[in-house]
Order: sequence, then C-alpha cells, then structure tokens
Amino acid sequence: MSMNDYLPIAIMFLLAMAFAGVSLLLSRFISPRNPTPEKLEPYECGIVPLQEPVQRFPVKFYLVAMLFVIFDIEIVFLFAWAVRFEQLGWYGVWAIGLFTLLLVETLVYAWKRGALDWNVSSRQRYRRVVAPEAREEAA
Amino acid sequence: MVGNLDILAIAPEIALTAAVVVLLLVEVNFDPHPRVWGGIAGVGIVAATVLSVFQWVEWSGGSGELAFSGMITGDGFSAMAGMVVFPLAGLSLMSGWRLVTEMRRRGAEMVSLLLLAAAGAHLMAASANLIMLFIALEVFSISLYVLAGFTRSRADADEAALKYFLLGAFASAVFLYGVALLFAATGSLSIYGDPTIYEAGARGIIRADAGIAAFLDSTIILEPGLLLAGIALLIVGLGFKVTAAPFHVWSPDVYQGAPGGITGFLAASAKVAGFAALARVLTVALGANIADWAPAVAVIAAVSIVLGTLLALAQTDIKLMLAYSSVAHAGFILTSLVAGPAGVAGMWFYVATYAVSVVAAFGVAAIVSGHTMGRSPLSSYEGLARRSPFLAAVLGITMLSMAGIPLTTGFVGKLAVFTAAADAGYLWLVILALVASVAGLYFYLRVIVLMYFRPTSDDAITPRVDWSSGIALGIATLATVLIGVVPWWLLNLLNDALPF
Repeated sequence: MSMNDYLPIAIMFLLAMAFAGVSLLLSRFISPRNPTPEKLEPYECGIVPLQEPVQRFPVKFYLVAMLFVIFDIEIVFLFAWAVRFEQLGWYGVWAIGLFTLLLVETLVYAWKRGALDWNVSSRQRYRRVVAPEAREEAA
Repeated sequence: MVGNLDILAIAPEIALTAAVVVLLLVEVNFDPHPRVWGGIAGVGIVAATVLSVFQWVEWSGGSGELAFSGMITGDGFSAMAGMVVFPLAGLSLMSGWRLVTEMRRRGAEMVSLLLLAAAGAHLMAASANLIMLFIALEVFSISLYVLAGFTRSRADADEAALKYFLLGAFASAVFLYGVALLFAATGSLSIYGDPTIYEAGARGIIRADAGIAAFLDSTIILEPGLLLAGIALLIVGLGFKVTAAPFHVWSPDVYQGAPGGITGFLAASAKVAGFAALARVLTVALGANIADWAPAVAVIAAVSIVLGTLLALAQTDIKLMLAYSSVAHAGFILTSLVAGPAGVAGMWFYVATYAVSVVAAFGVAAIVSGHTMGRSPLSSYEGLARRSPFLAAVLGITMLSMAGIPLTTGFVGKLAVFTAAADAGYLWLVILALVASVAGLYFYLRVIVLMYFRPTSDDAITPRVDWSSGIALGIATLATVLIGVVPWWLLNLLNDALPF
C-alpha cells in the first residue's frame, strides 16, 4: 500500500471535517433563539422542586454493587470451568481454587475495611481510615 | 498440562500478585508502619526483576517458548520488558514514597495498584494472543486510572482520573474493535498460532490455529478492507496508550492532575508497555503487511513529533511541558517501528532510557511542588541550583538527555531510532525528527537556564529531599549518564530482546 492509496482516506477526512464545521455553523446561524425561564428548569414537566437537597446522598449501594459484580464474574468463570471439569482434571481444580482464593482475599479486605458496614457513613469511614487532609477538614 | 517453563513465563506476575495479596492482608489485619508495606512491595519487585533475569537467561536471543496454550510467550522480548518495567516500578515507588506515607492507610492500596500495574505492563509485553493482550491492557490501565485520581480531595486529580478513564475506556473499545476486525479478516486471535489446539478438543480434532502471522504469510487477501481497518484500529488503540499525536489529548491533563509522586510511573510504564505491545503486534503478527502499516505509523510519528514539540514550546508549567514532550518522544520512538523488526532494538533502548528520565523529571517536580500537588509552574524552578544543587543537577541532566545531547542516553536513543528509520528508507521522517529535536532544545535548555542563571525569589522555599527519593533520583541520573557514555553493552544486549 503506497502513500497514494491513502488519498481517499485524506479526502474522507477533509469531508468529515467540512461536514462537522458546516453543520455547526449552519445551526448557529439559522437556529431560532428564544430563551425562556422555563427552559432552564431542571424538569420541564412534573412537580416544581421545592428545595435543593440539603446534603449529598450516601451511595453505599455502589460498593455493594461493585462487590456483586466481582462475584458475579467469578460465577461466570466457575461456570466455564464446571463445564470442562473432567477434561481439566486436577490442573483445573488448582487453577480455579487459586482464582477463588484471590477473590476471597478481596472479600476479606473489603469486609475488614468496612465496605459492608451499612450504618457507617462514607464520610466517617473516609475520616477513620484515610487521608490527613480529611481529618484536618473535620477538625 | 502445565510445565515449569509455562510458570516461568508468568512468574514475575505471580510474584507481584502474591506481594499485593500479602500486603493488603497484612495492612488490613495488623495496620503496620508504612515501612512494612515498603518491605513487602520491595521483595515483590526484586523477586519479579530476578525472575525476569531468569527468563532472559532462558530465552534471550531468539529461542522463545509459548506457554498456556499459546496465550503467553516467554522470549527475550518479554524478559526485557520485565527487566525494564520492574526496576522502573521500584524507582517510582521510592521517589513517590512520601506520597504513599501521606496517604496513610490508603497508601497500601496505592502501592498495591502500582505493583498490579507493573504486572499488567509485563503481561502486555508477554501476550501472544490478542484477547490476552486486551486483558493485560485492562489490568494495566484500570490500575493507572485509579492511581491518577488517588488524591481525591483535589479537583484536578478527579478531572485527571475521569478524563483518563473515559478516554482510556474509549481507546480500549477501539482496540477491541480492531481485534475483532482482525479476527474477521484472518480467522485467528493468536499471534504465533497454537500447535496444541489439536489436543484441545475431547470429541475430535478442532481446526488447527496457525495464528495471524502464518495466515498472512501464506494467504493472499484480495479484499483487504477488513484487515486494514483492523490494523488501523489496533494502532489507534495502542497509540492512545503511548500518547502518539492525534490520540494524545488526555495526557497533559492527566500528567498535570495526577498526584506528583506517581506521575512519573504513569508516564513511563504506559510508554514501555504500549510500545512493547505495539512492537510485537506490528512486527510479528502483521510483519508480512509492513507495507500497509509502516506509512501510517510514519505519519503518526511525524504528527506526534511536530505537534508535541510545538505545543511543548508554549508551556509555562513543567508538567505540561513534559506531557507534550512525551508526545514528541512517542513520535521519535515510533520512527524506529517503521523499520519493522530491525527497529525493535532501537525502540527498546529509547523507551527504556526515556522511561528512566521521565521518572527522574517527575520525581524532581514532585519534590519541588509537593507530592500530592498537580501544578508545577516553571517559575518555581528559578534559581533552583542555589536552593538545591542536587535537584537542579538531576533535572538538568534529565533535560539534557531528553534533548538528546551527546554523553546522555537520549542522544544514543535518538541515534538508534533515526538510523533504523533511515535504513528503512524514511529519510523525510528522520530529517523532520532532527529539525524537531533542534527546536526541542529550546524548551529543555530553558529549564536549565531558569535553574542555574536566574536569581531565586526571596519567598521561594527550599525543597527538602527525603532519602528514598534522593536515592531513586540518584540512580536514575547515574544510569542516564553512565549508559549514555558507554551504551554499547546495552545496545548489544538489546539485539537479543527481539520477539521470537
């Protein structure tokens, strides 16, 4: 493939750039502009929000969901191993055992670090375990 | 089913993963002093390095070995990747150790992620199958995404992590699409093929997998559209990791936003792993199609060199300057790949020595502007030679090496890659790269002028060098000078570091 074969790609590239540029410019010049206060509302329909949320919501489900995904994937691998269990023999048992052990270690680590404590707020946990700058903020 | 040599092929990864497991369990159960983490991580890194040397003794000089049903290679190439990446991880850990201790208990996670990233980087270089390569790429990248945003109370670290993650995930998707197209075109995901796949089926023989390289060698493809698109997407996906030019937009924000102590590792390991993967895929799997990809690689190299140099000229922050200069360096390294297998030794030399320089440069930046901080304006380097002669010397020598001044590794590396490209007939690229190198002198020497010939301002603080980063920076600088003065042994060694 010589450099000449790249000519169609170069033309395609220029066309794509031109298309993007022309579309942006056109929509800028011919689009109607009519701003109203309603357009800035969070929801154009439905109940008007009475107040902003006072604080950030804890997203504890996130950690649980992450852990779930990890063990979900483990099942996927276990399934593939179970299908070929007899052919893989002891090698398979060792391999999948090692794999499971690593995941158990993950669970132990997450558990000990308080990822499963539903009642501790993430802020407290962060302060308890983590960074000095968070401690200073709290003080 | 699995022999000793199979285990040897991934032995460094096993050592590092074991270190991570022990480290995390010890940390969470006993909450020891950070020194203990350092000890465990150090043992892991040293073990991985020693095992890479074993691999080198076993396989260097072209006698390679396929392990785990053709998923992993053991050859001089992968051994060399280990011998480069693991000491690099050790140097980065030492120069960023203050950040680790400042992070308190999360520091253990940081050390673990760094070790896992190193393991992923070596796995990328050792992969013999494109799916394996993708998994290794993800192990490596995901560790780096987390590391980039590790100081999460800082907004620019968040920005760095988010940008790196979103763009990186996109690039991984592009890479995977390339793998899929290549599979559609050649009917194989394996770079070398897998002779053992005959035995794999219990109910009769499965079709033999000859591998991408053998297929392309023996087949004339009349409609190469799928193949070419696949090659292009692979180059884009890996080009992102090595910050080659049209795919570099993430690098300035990430290098500037990431916590100072870890930026050097982010920059250096991505280059080593990305170029190792790129070299193996291009020169081995697609070696027969060099006429297809070499012009594209040459153009990417040219764009990287020009854009990186021009943008680096305009920067007033040393980390942004290093980020754009790393784009230019990606271009320089890519010039070696247009020569195919003949350029791999030069690529190794450039990538390894540049990685050491980059760790040293970011290490100095981390000390001058703070281990958790992102920004590092050039003005804070004025008169650094008076405040800290050691740091000024380290940064000065590193800058000279990056500029390609003789008696440093940068010069030998440039010489090696330019010779390879010129021998392959890409004289225009070499001339362009030479002109850009001269232009690059301006922004590298500017740092030296600032450090040595400007008065230091009165309120400038005197940076305190802790002993671990002092040792790391000293080793990096010594290596830059010593290998720059006597490069022949390394160049000879690297001639055995080709993929088999």
